[in-house]
Amino acid sequence: MSVCEWLSDRMPPVALGQAEWTPDEIHHLNECGSCRREWELVQLASRLGKDARLTLDPAAIAARVLRRLDQEREHGRVRRRSWGFAGVAAAAALVAAIWIGGLQGGASKAQPVNTAVAGRLTIPLPELDSLEPAELDSVLQTMDEPLVSGSTADDPALGDLNNDELQRVLDSWEG
Amino acid sequence: MPGFARPDSRTDPDLVAAYRNGDERAAAELVRRHAAALGRFLYSLGADRDDLDDLVQEALFRAFRRVDSWRGGASFRSWLLTIGSNLLRDQVRKRKGQMVSIEGRDIPDRADPAADLAAGEAEDRVREGLALLPRLQREVFLLRAQEGSDYAEIAAVLGTTPGAARVHYHHAVKRLKELIR
Repeated sequence: MSVCEWLSDRMPPVALGQAEWTPDEIHHLNECGSCRREWELVQLASRLGKDARLTLDPAAIAARVLRRLDQEREHGRVRRRSWGFAGVAAAAALVAAIWIGGLQGGASKAQPVNTAVAGRLTIPLPELDSLEPAELDSVLQTMDEPLVSGSTADDPALGDLNNDELQRVLDSWEG
Repeated sequence: MPGFARPDSRTDPDLVAAYRNGDERAAAELVRRHAAALGRFLYSLGADRDDLDDLVQEALFRAFRRVDSWRGGASFRSWLLTIGSNLLRDQVRKRKGQMVSIEGRDIPDRADPAADLAAGEAEDRVREGLALLPRLQREVFLLRAQEGSDYAEIAAVLGTTPGAARVHYHHAVKRLKELIR
């Protein structure tokens, strides 16, 4: 390491008052223009801002910083609490849904024989609600009628038979 | 609110540990110890004097908020200064301004106008020169010249090696000597 490099490393502590020049170093500084310029630079840099009236009030800054940290902690607590409530509410809703589902499932298991009847009775038919009583009767009559009537195109009514045919039919019924 | 009546003899790591355990007076003491140095460092990096109070406050707030990430590898102050430096860089980026432009501002009032004007001009030239340096050179130079940090500590806070920090410092010195001649 050259003397210039050695001095360069020594400059910051000396400029900050943490060390002192030795006589040899002072001698070198007086002889070496490059080191002298560097020494001036380091001295300036070490003082930079010291003379400028930096109006910082550490007590006020500390108070503001601590207040902000408190506020942030409080916000964090509120946020966590909100999430906690939301979690509890969601869990409660889930439990309630499972419980209601279980109740309905339990009821259907307890009365298996009546399920079909109960189902039929409870099935809402909103399209029937708007019907007048007469219309409703008519609908109910059609529902009561057998899907396949006794009379078909291939099964002529008794009125269509002539006397001989009618007699034969009646004979067959009487055995 | 915590005051500053009595100097606290605890070390920075002790104070940080105490703050982690909820001692707000420890945080106040850390602010008392380091706020001025942080202000000077930010001013040297080119921060506007009018912004210093807010910048120092914000840097300290961020530091305490993530104080758990300070492992003690570098000093608390060096760690704090790099937080301030990052903050200033973000601010400059947001403003799309230039850290170089310090003309026409921050000339201090002094008792001896002639002598102090010369000193003020020299100081401004250094600040202007610093603003022209690459970021690592600027920060290494200031941590070394203003804080007396050694290269190992500078390397720890800036995420580089001691050898690289030394090279950055000497490059900074060389360029600054040319710039402020």
